Amino acid sequence: MKKRAVRKDFYMEIKKSMGRFLSIFFIVALGVAFFSGIRVSEPDMRLTADAYFDNYHLMDIKVQGTLGITEDDVTALKRMEQVAYAEPGYSVDVLLTDADESQHVVHVESILRDMNEIIVQEGRRPEKEGECIVDVDLLESTGYKIGDVITLESGNEEELQDTLKTTQFQIVGAGSSPVYVSLGRGTSLIGTGEVSGFAAILPDNFALDVYTEAYVQIEGAKDKVAFTQGYTSLIDEMVRQIEEIKDFRCKKRYDDIKEEAESKLDDAKADLADGRKKIEDARKELIDGKDEIEKAKQELEDGKRESEEALNAALLEIKDGERKIRDAKNQVASGWEQLEIGKQTLAKNETQLEAGEAQYKEGVTQLEAGREELRQKEEEYLAQAEAAKIALEEGKQELEAGLAPIKEKLEVLALEIEQLKAEGKLEEAAMQQAVYDGMAEQVGAAEAAYEAERQKVEQGLLEGASQIEAAKEALEEHAEQLEKVRQQLEAGKEEIAKGKDELQTNKNDLMAAEDEIRKNESKLAKGRMDYEAGKKEAEAKLADGEQKIKEGEEELEDGERELKKGEEELKEGEQKVADAEAEIAKIEMPKWYVQDRDSLPEHSSFGENADRMKAIGQVFPVLFFLVAALISLTTMTRMVEEQRTHIGTMKALGYGKWTIAGKYLKYAFLATVGGSILGGLIGEKVISYIIIIAYRIIYPHMNTMEIPYQAGYILQAGLAALACTMFATVLACYKELAAQPAVLMRPPAPKQGKRIFMERILFIWNHLSFIWKSTIRNLFRYKKRFFMTVFGIGGCMALMIVGFGLKDSIFDVGQLQYKEIQLYDATIYLRDDISAKEEEAMFAAIHREQGIKEYSRGLVKSIEGSEKKGAKDKEEFYLYVYENMEQLEDFQVFRNRVSHELYELTDDGVILTEKMAKNLNAKKGDRIWLTLDGSETEVTVTDICENYMSHYVYMTPKFYETLYGEKPEYNSVAFKMKEYDEGELYELGKTLLKEKGVLNVSYTSSVKDKLDDMLKSLNLVIVVLIVSAGMLAFVVLYNLNNININERRRELATLKVLGFYDGEVGAYVYRENILLTLIGGLAGIVMGKLLHGFIIVTVEVEQVMFGRNVDLSSFLYSFAFTIGFTCFVNWIMYFKLKRINMVESLKSVE
Amino acid sequence: MNSFVTLSDVKKIYQMGEVKIAAADGISFGIEKGEFAVVVGPSGAGKTTVLNILGGMDTATSGEVWVDGIEITGYSNRQLTAYRRDDIGFVFQFYNLIPNLTAKENVELALQICKDPLDAKKVLEEVGLGERLDNFPAQLSGGEQQRVSIARALAKNPKLLLCDEPTGALDYNTGKSILKLLQDTCRKKGMTVVLITHNSAIAPMADKVIKVKNGKVASLVTNDNPVPVETIEW
Repeated sequence: MKKRAVRKDFYMEIKKSMGRFLSIFFIVALGVAFFSGIRVSEPDMRLTADAYFDNYHLMDIKVQGTLGITEDDVTALKRMEQVAYAEPGYSVDVLLTDADESQHVVHVESILRDMNEIIVQEGRRPEKEGECIVDVDLLESTGYKIGDVITLESGNEEELQDTLKTTQFQIVGAGSSPVYVSLGRGTSLIGTGEVSGFAAILPDNFALDVYTEAYVQIEGAKDKVAFTQGYTSLIDEMVRQIEEIKDFRCKKRYDDIKEEAESKLDDAKADLADGRKKIEDARKELIDGKDEIEKAKQELEDGKRESEEALNAALLEIKDGERKIRDAKNQVASGWEQLEIGKQTLAKNETQLEAGEAQYKEGVTQLEAGREELRQKEEEYLAQAEAAKIALEEGKQELEAGLAPIKEKLEVLALEIEQLKAEGKLEEAAMQQAVYDGMAEQVGAAEAAYEAERQKVEQGLLEGASQIEAAKEALEEHAEQLEKVRQQLEAGKEEIAKGKDELQTNKNDLMAAEDEIRKNESKLAKGRMDYEAGKKEAEAKLADGEQKIKEGEEELEDGERELKKGEEELKEGEQKVADAEAEIAKIEMPKWYVQDRDSLPEHSSFGENADRMKAIGQVFPVLFFLVAALISLTTMTRMVEEQRTHIGTMKALGYGKWTIAGKYLKYAFLATVGGSILGGLIGEKVISYIIIIAYRIIYPHMNTMEIPYQAGYILQAGLAALACTMFATVLACYKELAAQPAVLMRPPAPKQGKRIFMERILFIWNHLSFIWKSTIRNLFRYKKRFFMTVFGIGGCMALMIVGFGLKDSIFDVGQLQYKEIQLYDATIYLRDDISAKEEEAMFAAIHREQGIKEYSRGLVKSIEGSEKKGAKDKEEFYLYVYENMEQLEDFQVFRNRVSHELYELTDDGVILTEKMAKNLNAKKGDRIWLTLDGSETEVTVTDICENYMSHYVYMTPKFYETLYGEKPEYNSVAFKMKEYDEGELYELGKTLLKEKGVLNVSYTSSVKDKLDDMLKSLNLVIVVLIVSAGMLAFVVLYNLNNININERRRELATLKVLGFYDGEVGAYVYRENILLTLIGGLAGIVMGKLLHGFIIVTVEVEQVMFGRNVDLSSFLYSFAFTIGFTCFVNWIMYFKLKRINMVESLKSVE
Repeated sequence: MNSFVTLSDVKKIYQMGEVKIAAADGISFGIEKGEFAVVVGPSGAGKTTVLNILGGMDTATSGEVWVDGIEITGYSNRQLTAYRRDDIGFVFQFYNLIPNLTAKENVELALQICKDPLDAKKVLEEVGLGERLDNFPAQLSGGEQQRVSIARALAKNPKLLLCDEPTGALDYNTGKSILKLLQDTCRKKGMTVVLITHNSAIAPMADKVIKVKNGKVASLVTNDNPVPVETIEW
């Protein structure tokens, strides 16, 4: 209530100066966003990785034993106090040849129950033997698909079947494993030496007796964040504890194996003793056997004679019997012949009879048919006769009927005639008589015709009757003949039956005779069989005897041979036992390798990346934030200064200091806190999101994202921003408030115009126009503003340069290291225990390779160094001794990083790599202490050479010899190809890896690629840096310009009144801006270079030195961006300039 | 209507929400070439508005303004700027010198942009600053600064010299000497001078006194016998 006016004034102030309020708001937001965002990225990366590892139960510790891991070992691990889980597993490296005939090394591992969960991307997990889930990256590189069957091959001389039950697996799924966090899959002793991917199968698929490794998860490790001190120290402690039980476990394993071997040896010894006794026995048996054989031979001779006699007698008897049978058989045979003839005759008679019977039957049928015909004819005839008689009768009647009138007429006529005659009418009577005669003739003719007819008919009938009679007689005759035939047939039949009976009896007789013969024959056969059997028996017995004797003799021989062999074997056995004893003595104590997650391929690189992020976060955002704070500070100061009169008025009105200052403090507070909150909220999410997404490029399977708000960073940045602005405001207010209100009401004493240094250089000065003069004086007159602007612009520009420069320095590392410094294409690492022969074989193999141009043996060994003798904290790096000094320049270039001056390695001292030289505080000509295998020697650093990856100290073989009194034991071979071809190189490496003495082949190009991959993700981070720096540059420029214009409204208005065109007024301001930008840019170049040098050192991880170079293009880009932003801001400002009201010039100075 | 400077029924109306405020409500007067005119009136009477319109810093809502036979009310911004540049010399109450330019340079700054400038040094000598050419404004007294301001205006050789309370920030004596300088300039060079003041005491020195009240011309008096400044006391 009391100070409503004040409050209203406050709100009005914000509303009126929204631009300023927002510029503070956004500058603070940007600063806080960037600061907290970049800072929070590092813990977020760790959290993200940790979530990923925890989600998929990544093991904490892996224990591998040179002689495997037993159930007991696992139990022992489980029993350890802090062990949450322990689980054994198998693994083996195998070869897989894909469709393109290119070979891949595949790490086959058993699927664990509790740990290292395979993340299925496609398909499913294996459910039975013969199924596998394959690395999704491997699937991509080999071109196999889910459902394909792959055949695995052993990569060394061991049979794969000894390790795996089956070597064919069906791919049922594709997945990733938390074990392989990035693109690398580690190294192997087989194939190209580089593992291409994993394949997970069920443990049952393995055929091994003992496990190859055990995985351990530590109690409470999941609660710790990976890649942090908490986690590392917990695991280190556990590794230490496991190391403690390791000796005991190894001893146990050693004892077990030894015990087993010894018991086997004892068995073997017992066997040997047995064998010896058996040989003695055998010798005795042999002598007995010889005696027995002699005896048997005698017996055999006797037996032979006896049996021969008996057999001869039997043979005579048999032969007699055989003759008798032959005779009997002949008789029977002739009997059979006769019987056959009889049968044939009988058969002929029977056929004749049958033919006769057939004829007879035919005769009977004919007879029957004749009889039937006859009967028909008779009936016919009777019918005809009857019909004829009837017809005759009818004719007669007809005739008579016809004749009757005529006869009557005749009678009449006769009478008439008679009368006439009588009457006398003779003529008439004659006439009548003629008629009568005619008629009487007719009647007589008719009657005669009839009579003839009747006679004919009767004749016919008679003829028919006589025909029938004749036929009847013929039939009868026929019947009689048939009867006769029948009788004959009957007689024939009887005769045949009789013949048959006769034949039958003959047959029976013959059969009986045959039976007899057969009986005799079988008797004879039996006799013969008996004889044969007897003979055979005798012969068999004889042969048997002989065989047995032969066998016996052979056996004897065998026995002798065996005896000899047995004796040899015995000797061998004795030798073997002796060997075995020696071998048992030679069994080495097994070793356990207790490894934490850092042993996993590229696992630690994630931590390093987080560290790198941390390093970036340490410096970069601070500067960013500084610029932001500075600008908001300037803005607030300006605001207070501008409001001088207002403050004076308030003060004059009697308001308290705090009430007056409160307005500005509140203003600053609101803008800063608001900006901080907005910036923090956005920055922590967006920036860390972008950065984590960026790192997915090299950690593609990490599917988690943990970006929680971490208020600490927002608070840190927000409070710092608040402190800056509040402090600036308080300070500015204090200055104003200290003055009397009257003073405040008056315009401030104008700043003294001053001659500047340049004016003394008349040559330049006189050539400048007034506007330029004014501009230049302006720049120097407001020193604070000048400084602020230069620092603001320069800072942003520096940030951009750092962004671009990081890219330059980091991305060139691989190129520089592996293309300009280390020139060899690959290094072959030899086994520690390589024999002279193996080494010879390997060099022979190298010489065989046509592709190799030249090679040099080298000693690469870990070495320690210090500035002073016996220092406690020693730096660790590598000693590298090339054997081939003549062609050294082909393998390794020693040069100065900046001048590229070439150095020569001499026998007087060592060449040290740059970063290590810095760590050791060694300069050219200084002496350092090297500790190799416990012996500490002092050497002179003859030169310091450019180097980026790892740290080395180089010396000549001769110097090594003088230093350590022995020739270097070379453990690697670096070689160069005639013409570099990656495929050929890998092929070559594969060939060389087959050599026994070769431990590994490391390809320079793949190291470079890996490095490039890893650094690629920094790209996006750098883009974030550049974009942020650009944004900041824009806001800074806008704000500074805004201040500049506000400050000089009056001046600008005056210029307008004086008749300056808008463009001229703009130019008046721009000239200054452009000049400031240029100066700021130049300052930025210097600052950027310095900052870059500082940041690059901070960002470096221990083993790496990044380039120190910033390309010219990076400077140009940054400068161009800055100028571009300036122009853009100036363009925006132009409208603001146009709006300046000339009336301002009439107002009193505020 | 044939005067050198003619304002006829000039109105300037500001729309403030729903209320219309007339800063100038139909002002008409004429000033002859070489005349020393004084516009007097109390605060808020519309003096400054008149000056703004006459100086091409503002445009009238209605009415006509003729200067040397040219009508300027219809001018575009650019034309107005050119008008200010070539035809108007402006003397501010608070001098409005560019603080980091010397006296000479401040004059030269104005000369750079106009067509037919006078020599800066000579003008400065004329205003009595021959000795202080190379001093920065902060090194000069208020009167001296105002002299520089006048020199800057005169050096452009304008048609019209507009002075906005040129003595407002000065003490009595200095003010008087500035007024004298202006009067002398008018007399000697035939410069048309329009002076705005709230101090009616200085009216007798003018050839023409225009009294403004409430945005209107209250009286227009032509003084046939203007007196020298020295004789006026207030």
